[in-house]
Amino acid sequence: MSSSDPQAPQGEPVEIHEGQPLVGRDLRTEELVFNMGPQHPATHGVLRVVIKSDGEVVRGLEPHVGNLHRSSEKIGEEIPYYQWLPYVDRWDYLAAMNNEHVACMAMEQLGGIEVPERAEYIRIIVAEVQRILSHLMAIGVYGLDLGAFTPFLHQFRERERGLDLLNHLSGARLLYHYIRIGGVKRDVSKEWIDELEVFLDAVEKRLPDYNTLLLHNHIFQERTCGIGIIDREVGVRWGVTGPALRAAGVDWDTRRDAPYSIYDRFEFDVPIGPSPVAGVSGDCFARHWLRVREVEESLKIVRQALVQMPEGPVMARVPKTFKPPVGEVYVRGENPRGELATYMVSEGKDRAYRIRCRGPSFSNIAVITEVSEGVMIADLVALIGSLDIVLGEVDR
Amino acid sequence: MTNESDTQAAPPEDPVTLRALELLRQEHPDAVVDALTTGRHPFIEVTADGLHEACVLLRDHDELLYDCCHLVSGVDRPDQEQIEVVYHLVSYSTHPGDAYRKRAEKNDPYVALKVRVPRDKPEVPTISDVWTGADWHERETYDLVGVIFTGREELRRILLPEDWPGHPLRKDWEFPVGYHGVPIVPPEAQ
Repeated sequence: MSSSDPQAPQGEPVEIHEGQPLVGRDLRTEELVFNMGPQHPATHGVLRVVIKSDGEVVRGLEPHVGNLHRSSEKIGEEIPYYQWLPYVDRWDYLAAMNNEHVACMAMEQLGGIEVPERAEYIRIIVAEVQRILSHLMAIGVYGLDLGAFTPFLHQFRERERGLDLLNHLSGARLLYHYIRIGGVKRDVSKEWIDELEVFLDAVEKRLPDYNTLLLHNHIFQERTCGIGIIDREVGVRWGVTGPALRAAGVDWDTRRDAPYSIYDRFEFDVPIGPSPVAGVSGDCFARHWLRVREVEESLKIVRQALVQMPEGPVMARVPKTFKPPVGEVYVRGENPRGELATYMVSEGKDRAYRIRCRGPSFSNIAVITEVSEGVMIADLVALIGSLDIVLGEVDR
Repeated sequence: MTNESDTQAAPPEDPVTLRALELLRQEHPDAVVDALTTGRHPFIEVTADGLHEACVLLRDHDELLYDCCHLVSGVDRPDQEQIEVVYHLVSYSTHPGDAYRKRAEKNDPYVALKVRVPRDKPEVPTISDVWTGADWHERETYDLVGVIFTGREELRRILLPEDWPGHPLRKDWEFPVGYHGVPIVPPEAQ
């Protein structure tokens, strides 16, 4: 407001007394609507959030998604099943192996294909390695969101090792196209398993270091404990799944409770919130702690799988033109971010009649419209970061 | 629905769907149209008018407690002049474990509801007041398949731009020639 503005307030300067609130007496306040994203570093991708704020406090919020929509469901109706599989990697690009696993299970159930034992074990191993990598990323980047740069660099050291591992197996660093209909693309070698064990040991050794930097860090705890609480009732009602739901105390892990593939053969714990370290049930800290615990559990699963893994073929006999009979399937799997589900309808053609994907991040981000009410804007960054969304999966 | 395992022996009934169907028939006999309780994807078909009360029953009945709407999908069937709207419901309330683990035939404890609506008037009552999470899924189904969900506050597109022509997952949808001056080349011409 310039000084020549006739509407500018004039008159006596306001006298300020100690202990008297300034706002509400002479200053006019109003809610401000502003825009965060879609190119904002704290929104983890191209998420745009329209925030209605009262000073530093969020009064209302609306996420706008769709900037990364690549119509993978439409593409799935246009091209054969085989060719559609690489598109699946691009849903949640930090968990491509898990996506492939669920999508292949859906197609195999449609076509009635039995996967060889060894292939099932390799799938579990790569899926759990992917979960470790994804959670490491989430842990490190969450520190970055809150202004801690160091843990991010540390986690990247281990993550690089893991990406190399999957690179040596599949020939790609992020989008693998390794799990195929009926098995996996190629067998694992003895050398690769040695490399994998080195990676597992490195992660196990370094995990306490990350915890020193973040989990037990007083500043980090101050920023996350009791912030952005998604309680059990709200989480379930909004369809929040995965670590975000377990942090709220819901004892549900699809791997254990609706076991798919061969997850029923492994012993592992399902950690649930609240964290014994600090914080309350369903807050940002509980979600962060839960990811750290899940990395430990994934290490257990991979080690058990390495012991149990039999010799044998890694690919079933799948016809060149894969034409599953008429039917429908609904397949759920536990991704690092929550439950990925695929509803697939076949009409007996070489391509699907309809493919519908439930991306866990889609439901996980929807909940912020309700829980962000009344949080500080800086805490909103902590909240979005702790949900660990991937926009490729929200928009598909 | 036919597949190899169905034709060989008597297919196992899905106890979860069966129980839900039994209670639905008991409480709202007019709502249930059809059901399939065997096979890989059992479902219960309900009328559009009866959908809301069926959902409330599935959510609130002590034996069912489906407290989460996992997914809402739309399937366009131009040959039948219909659109199927499919709801997958899951439960986190009942403690998992043995009751679910026993369902070895189909490891997912979900119930699928289907509603068939005419293609030229695809109106379904909203269930976003039953499960808040269905809100965004309904918006997406409207956006991509063009199902109109009635009784809810707003039905806006969610993934596509507001002015995008048509609903792309309709089988008769045609590629627009361009969008705001940017030509779009259909896949068959590439």
